Amino acid sequence: MRIGRLPAKKARILAVRYLGAGIVILLFLFPVYWLFMISFKTPDEIYHVPPLWIPEQIQFSNYYVLFKDGDVLAILNSLIVAGVSSGIAIVLGTLCAYSLARYGTGGENLAMWIISQRMIPPIAVVFPIFLIYVHFGLVDGYFGLILLYTAFNLPYVIWMMRGYIVDVPLELEESALVDGLNRWEVIWKVVFPMVRPGLMATSVFTFVFAWNDFLFALVLTRTEVITFPVMLTHYFGGQSNFWAKIAAMSVLGTLPIFVAVSVMQRYLVRGISLGAVKG
Amino acid sequence: MTVSVSLNGAEQRRPSRFGRMLEDRLPYLIVAPAILILLLVGLFPLIYSLIVSFQRITMTENDTSFVGLLNYAELFRDTRLWASLGHTAIITAIALPLELLVGFLMAQLFIDGMPGRQIFVALLVLPTVISPIVAGATWRLMFDVRFGPIGQILSFFAGEPVRILWTVNPAYVYPAIIICEVWQWAPFMFLLLLAALSNVDQSQLEAAEIDGASYLRVLRAIVLPAIAPVIAVACLIRGLDLVRIFDIIWALTEGGPGSMTETVSLYTYVQGFSQFETSYTAAISFLVIALLTLITTLVLKRMELTR
Amino acid sequence: MADVKLSGVHKYYGNVHAVRGVDLSIADGEFAVLVGPSGCGKSTLLRTIAGLEDPDDGTITIGGAVVNDLRPRERNIAMVFQNYALYPYLTVNENIAFGLRARKTPEIEIRKRVGEAAEMLGIGNLLQRYPRQLSGGQRQRVAIGRAIVRKADLFLFDEPLSNLDAQLRDEMRSEIKRLHHEITTTMIYVTHDQVEAMTLADRIVLLRDGKIEQQGAPLELFEQPRTGFVAGFLGSPSINLIPATLKTSGTAAEAVFKSGGSLTLPPAKAALLSGAEERQVLVGIRPQHFSRAGGGGPLREGVVSYSATADLIQPTGTRTFTTIKIGGVDAVAELQAHDVTNHGERIELAIDLNRVVLIDPASGLVIA
Repeated sequence: MRIGRLPAKKARILAVRYLGAGIVILLFLFPVYWLFMISFKTPDEIYHVPPLWIPEQIQFSNYYVLFKDGDVLAILNSLIVAGVSSGIAIVLGTLCAYSLARYGTGGENLAMWIISQRMIPPIAVVFPIFLIYVHFGLVDGYFGLILLYTAFNLPYVIWMMRGYIVDVPLELEESALVDGLNRWEVIWKVVFPMVRPGLMATSVFTFVFAWNDFLFALVLTRTEVITFPVMLTHYFGGQSNFWAKIAAMSVLGTLPIFVAVSVMQRYLVRGISLGAVKG
Repeated sequence: MTVSVSLNGAEQRRPSRFGRMLEDRLPYLIVAPAILILLLVGLFPLIYSLIVSFQRITMTENDTSFVGLLNYAELFRDTRLWASLGHTAIITAIALPLELLVGFLMAQLFIDGMPGRQIFVALLVLPTVISPIVAGATWRLMFDVRFGPIGQILSFFAGEPVRILWTVNPAYVYPAIIICEVWQWAPFMFLLLLAALSNVDQSQLEAAEIDGASYLRVLRAIVLPAIAPVIAVACLIRGLDLVRIFDIIWALTEGGPGSMTETVSLYTYVQGFSQFETSYTAAISFLVIALLTLITTLVLKRMELTR
Repeated sequence: MADVKLSGVHKYYGNVHAVRGVDLSIADGEFAVLVGPSGCGKSTLLRTIAGLEDPDDGTITIGGAVVNDLRPRERNIAMVFQNYALYPYLTVNENIAFGLRARKTPEIEIRKRVGEAAEMLGIGNLLQRYPRQLSGGQRQRVAIGRAIVRKADLFLFDEPLSNLDAQLRDEMRSEIKRLHHEITTTMIYVTHDQVEAMTLADRIVLLRDGKIEQQGAPLELFEQPRTGFVAGFLGSPSINLIPATLKTSGTAAEAVFKSGGSLTLPPAKAALLSGAEERQVLVGIRPQHFSRAGGGGPLREGVVSYSATADLIQPTGTRTFTTIKIGGVDAVAELQAHDVTNHGERIELAIDLNRVVLIDPASGLVIA
């Protein structure tokens, strides 16, 4: 009896799939585990041969050092730069996206030009930007990085938010116009609340992009405003890497991203696929 | 900006003339700031760079006279540049299909619902969102010949001590980069493909199942055509990222050993910030932009055709 | 309260001439229905009145004041949209109060008016819910409530019932009619559904290709259509149009079909047709003007007998629609439920030709 066997077969398939899932998770999360674990190890344990897979005890001295030496300021810098620049990019980008979506300002050409800005490789602009920044004294300051990350994120915000705004029924805005709002109020009181999920998801991504950027930060920071990825590379040095610091700093620098992305999991797909897949 | 007057017993709002003006110009007023910033930080440096690429500025000389296409002619004699383009091409050509394949297999594994799937997916996203510098650093720890677990695991399976200098040995440095790349970005492909696969028309799959079509046939006739646009977009996004790969290599090998893994982004960086070949760097930048534009246009053309 | 006047209104969308010179005058307190097939410009016209579209030519007057240059919010109108246009992130209460808050109405007044409107529409128990928790009919009530509280001079409805299922639509239709009796504000209502137009309107404005085809009281349009289009648009099932040739002799006239057979027209119609000898016409007979010939007694004036085969029978319970052949074309006759029961049955019919319309096929105008 075929029908009678089915549940058993299904159970077996499910078991196989769980096994596969377990292996995949293990493969992809083991490096993360390793990083975490090293951040809790003592130097003796880190440089133990063969490597220890579990630290003897959890201790926080690696983190303590980062705080004591002020290295965590890099995290603070990253928070400021990434936070402020995504905030500005979100506000300006969404307004721009609204105009493109609703009034077709600039036509399809402007929209294409904006997205093409996203395609330009950073390496191609970082050098001229550096020269200009040197000229205007913007290197190694908050303003320069914030301006740069805002510009870097704007095409993404405009592109994504345009997609979200197009999905807002026009009737809602028209109804508000008839009911007594002016166009500015309509944006503020109707469009923004309607695209709130999209706004949140897009802000997370702009934050992540700015947070993770290395190339611009490497070129445009010196001593004052060092961001987290640049700080991390300061620990690299030939064969004598400060592994304890690398691991602890990496964990600290990944936590904000992890929290933000976990909260926004629902919108992840649409966000990373530039809206190609509506999540 | 607005005053209330009573008309026919109903509340009425009439904006001032200035308010009206602001409202009429709204489409342009709200576009302006974003466009201005993009012009300032996006376009202005490019134009500046274009001009510089026709001059002869180096660290020692500030010669602003125009030398025509001299720098561009120089590009063709620069073997290190072409080698770096070659390295970039190798990494892209191997990592991109691998990421796609691994991502697809992962998506196949998770496409049917199973308890706890949400959590699995959430965990698998982690590599993709962490900073590439962190990813590179992590794998540097993993690969370390004495204190890293990879060697230990390999030794366990080999039954004898395996000592591989992953980031130094020319034979292993590319595999190391590609492993790290795939580890970080296969989950990206996985996420996109999972979403695309869940959007495949379920009734088509059921009809095929009733017709008794084999798994491969269903894959080729129904699933792949349905997710092809998403695959194209994913490959475009990742392809562009791979061509400008910088961070992971910086963290993992710094272009070494020698300049064996120096990609075009790294080489440009070296020219600009170590050699201070200002004009020449600008020329390289435009070569890179031209190449990327060419690739993007070709891919987009193909996408149009298959649509 | 306000009357509405349009004169010479034109609207283009690129090359499309959506509204082509509309003159219209709607009295204070009137319920006017703009009706017509899709693409006839009725929605565009309504949106022009609302101020959501600017007319390319002509003037629009509300309550005696030209409003062409006024923003929608300055026209003191209320509008109900096809998809309800409720704000999903606001409760029913906040949705209804939205327009009042936008106009900075005192909170006490807002509460009072929302309460009244909710009472009137029977949605008092839903005020704390969100739109997604409501059924289609409830959402439509909320949308209407939001318009009512505004105490606007003019109510505009843009196909408000088209997203509801048939039963709810009937229910909401009578609700809207009752509402108009209670608040007696001028209302302009757009629909493509002729039943809605007939039942709701004080006056129907029938549009076609951006122009007014005919306007007037519902029964006036139904009984005295000026064109074949009007005759065909109103009425369900729609009017039967049968091509024929006129034969007149003195005061008598008859319509002769190509496939043979003829119908003798009543003297009142014949009188309008002098000199129309040999003229090609479309004979328009409404399904309702058919009946089963009974008793064999003498027929009333203008009623002719006709014998036909029931090709297709569609009982609806109260009435039975029967497809027969007249003059070689299919025609629908609306008969009593049990008048005909079998396909292919031979039936004797009486056709009341007193309300027949004769249409010139070339111009589409009704000639008698």
